[in-house]
Order: sequence, then C-alpha cells, then structure tokens
Amino acid sequence: MPDPESPDKWEVQLRKGTLELAILAALWNGKLYGLEILRHLESASDLIVSEGTVYPLLTRLKSLGLLTSQWVESDAGHPRKYYALTPAGRQRGREMATLWTRFSATMTRVIAPLTPPSGKDH
Amino acid sequence: MLAPDPKTEVWLTTFRRHLRGLKPEDIDEIVAELRSHIADKSPDNPEATLAALGSPQALAAQYLADDLLARAQVTRSPLHLLKSLFRWATLSIAGFFVFLGAIAGYLLGAALIVAALVKPFRPDRTGLWLNADGVSIRLGLTDQYLRGTELLGWWIIPLGLIVGVAAIMFTTRITLWFTETWRRTRTWPHR
Repeated sequence: MPDPESPDKWEVQLRKGTLELAILAALWNGKLYGLEILRHLESASDLIVSEGTVYPLLTRLKSLGLLTSQWVESDAGHPRKYYALTPAGRQRGREMATLWTRFSATMTRVIAPLTPPSGKDH
Repeated sequence: MLAPDPKTEVWLTTFRRHLRGLKPEDIDEIVAELRSHIADKSPDNPEATLAALGSPQALAAQYLADDLLARAQVTRSPLHLLKSLFRWATLSIAGFFVFLGAIAGYLLGAALIVAALVKPFRPDRTGLWLNADGVSIRLGLTDQYLRGTELLGWWIIPLGLIVGVAAIMFTTRITLWFTETWRRTRTWPHR
C-alpha cells in the first residue's frame, strides 16, 4: 500500500538513527548542556532536532555509561545539567564515526545511478 | 531562582506524575533538567517551549520506554519487564498492546512449564487436549473429565519444558524489539 508519508518517515528514522552519533560528536570538545547541544546541532547541520527527542536520548546515553552529567549553577539563576563524554563514550563515538564513514561511502557508490553526474565531486 | 510560570508548573506536575515508576532521584533529575530547559529556551514565552516538548504524557512514555530498554540490559526477568511494560501501557496505545502480547506469551510459556512439571503427579488430568469440537485445544491441568483427545501424552514433559522456556524467551525478545522499534520510529512535534 503506497504511503504518501513514507519518505518523510524514512527521513525521520534516518535522522533519529544518526542523532546518537551527532550528540557524541557535539560533546567531543567539551561539556555542554541540553539546549547548547540542540543549538549546536541546529547550527552545525540541517538536522532538525526536537527537544522531545534529545533529552530522553541524553538520559539514555548516560544510563548506557557513554555520558556523565553534572549540575552547574549559571548566571541565569538556575542550575544547568552539563553532559560530558566518558572514555566509553569517546570509544563509541570513534567506532560509530568509522562505521558511518564506511557506510556512507558505500551508499554513495550504490546510489550513483540515481544521482545525476555534475561538475562537482561525488 | 526561576519565576514560577503557572502553565509550566502544571505541565511539569503532569509530566512528573506520568514518570512514576522510575527511580525517584531519576524523576527529580529529569524534571529539573526540563525546568531548566524551559527557563533557558524562551523565558518570555514558555508556552512555545512546552508546545515543542509535546504532551507531558507522550514525553514521559518515551522516558519509560528508554528505561525499560536500559533495565533489560541488566535483567531479563519477565516480572521486571512486565512491571515496566505496565507503566508504559498506561501512557500509550503501543505500550498497551505490547503489554497484552507479553502477558499472553508469558502465560503460554508458564502453562506449558507447569503442565510438564505436574504431569508425573496427575497424569490423567494434565495434558494438551483437542476438544470434542475438533477445533479448540485445552492446555494444562483440569479437574473435569474431558472428552477430547489427549495429544501429547508423556511427551508433554520434554516438549512443555522446551517450548515453555522458548515461549518465554521469545516473548522477551519480541517485546524488547517492539519497544526499541517504537522508540526509534516515534515522531515528535517539530517547531
């Protein structure tokens, strides 16, 4: 049964599937709190991320031992929960990045017939 | 301190209530984090932030499903799983059906194992019968005299144990798979 929504759903799943890696990458250079991670992802990419997805995922990554968290008082008058990578999180990030690079190179070759040749590189 | 905004407080109170079942310190931390987020995101317009977060119930369901998957990495006890599923079932239709499926799978597994264990003591009253109607089957222990055909005889002991344990393991796996798939494909309100 054709589903007119399916391309969008596929995109949502694709984005969600890569969000974990994007979060690990966002934290690579130091600790950030949730809203900073959201803003970083939005400014660094066209990943449209919603807080309803990111916050549960941060909690999950923490319970998996990939992130640690720490409450820090802020000038705004309330504490913020900062996340940082654990050694396991760094290792997982590197592994995922390697897999992603390999996978995306393969997919670029696979989908070559679908993409019109242009002057730019692949 | 944060200036309490009535709508934010109502949202957070509802959210906190739906998180019930997680560890109290985890609930405090999750609620505190979202409170801090709402204050930071748009201090003058918390309603927009609340809209982007979606319904407190749906967001809580996401946290509960994640908690269920995280716990499953530590223990695969059906009782723990059912307890987590029950809380999730009260928040989402998907959770409700996964809960029903899990109950059915575990009951079938338990019935097979119980039948296998009881057979040596009550051989005439324990078994798998094809009922007299020729369509329905009846498994387990009965006090009634049944006019159906007993299908397995003593085979119910090895088969009941093997299939019963397999049914329980399969139920756990399929439950976790459904939960994981639900979590991954859940779409969220975007601004």
